[in-house]
Amino acid sequence: MKNLLFKIPTILFLFILSVFLYLLIIDRNPSEVPSNLLNKNTPKFEAKSLFNNKKIFSNKEFGNELVIVNFFATWCKPCRDEHVFIQNFADEKKIKIIGINYKDDPKKAVQWLKKLGNPYSNVAIDRKGEIAIDWGVYGIPETFLINSDAIIKYRHVGPITESIYKKINLIIAKID
Amino acid sequence: MKNKNFIIIIIFILIQFCFNSCYAVEPNEILKNKEQEERARNISKNIRCMICQNQSIDESSAPLAKDLRILIREKIKSGKKDEEIYKFLTDRYGDFILLKPPFKPDTLALWLLPFIFCIIGLFIIIVNNKKSKKL
Repeated sequence: MKNLLFKIPTILFLFILSVFLYLLIIDRNPSEVPSNLLNKNTPKFEAKSLFNNKKIFSNKEFGNELVIVNFFATWCKPCRDEHVFIQNFADEKKIKIIGINYKDDPKKAVQWLKKLGNPYSNVAIDRKGEIAIDWGVYGIPETFLINSDAIIKYRHVGPITESIYKKINLIIAKID
Repeated sequence: MKNKNFIIIIIFILIQFCFNSCYAVEPNEILKNKEQEERARNISKNIRCMICQNQSIDESSAPLAKDLRILIREKIKSGKKDEEIYKFLTDRYGDFILLKPPFKPDTLALWLLPFIFCIIGLFIIIVNNKKSKKL
């Protein structure tokens, strides 16, 4: 009995320790929160387009093909860093990309896209950050993958890097 | 003299603790209706700032925290109940946005494990005590 009394807490302690060790070793960002919208329909929105006076209606943009939604702003340095990968999705993979210009000056955003290239088929203006809240966005840049049934299949918080670009391509291949 | 300085430093540190509950709510955010403002403050204290993650939106000066404080006040003004506001936020950000996790099947381990460990610990202490008394 005494032996058991010593063994149980030791085993429990070692188990907890190994869980902590596992979480420490695996490749993860502890501050990243999984999206609550995964496998759910895209939140609806209607907003002004950055390119013309027409409005963008979300129900017209999603539901026909695979779409990438990218929240960005000109004041966000990581958005500039990931821009090349967003451009690659549009140029090489021929994927439709909807941009959401988050709390930004539309004039600056237009200039920014002229300078860096425009990968977006359309860009919605989100001056007050209301669309972002509806999408559960908390740290831009954020990127969502939407399948042809308008269901959110993946969300990435932070800039797209080389490894994330590859990861997203694998997910796209699976969705397709 | 050294002792006196030490006591002054200790008193200074203790005074800091008295004022550690600072709030980020800006004057222009405050609602005129006191009852509605109190409701907004209570909800804000239970909502996690998704950027700072260890602060409530009531204490955080992050832009998203401010947006959520304003949103909560707008919803209260438009007649929404507290439960509806909590649902609106958890639908978008998940249960993580609540500083106090809800009691439901997913969080059962989180709520019950501390009690189970306490019971195991108490059991071990009692059994050990009885044995040492016998000796």
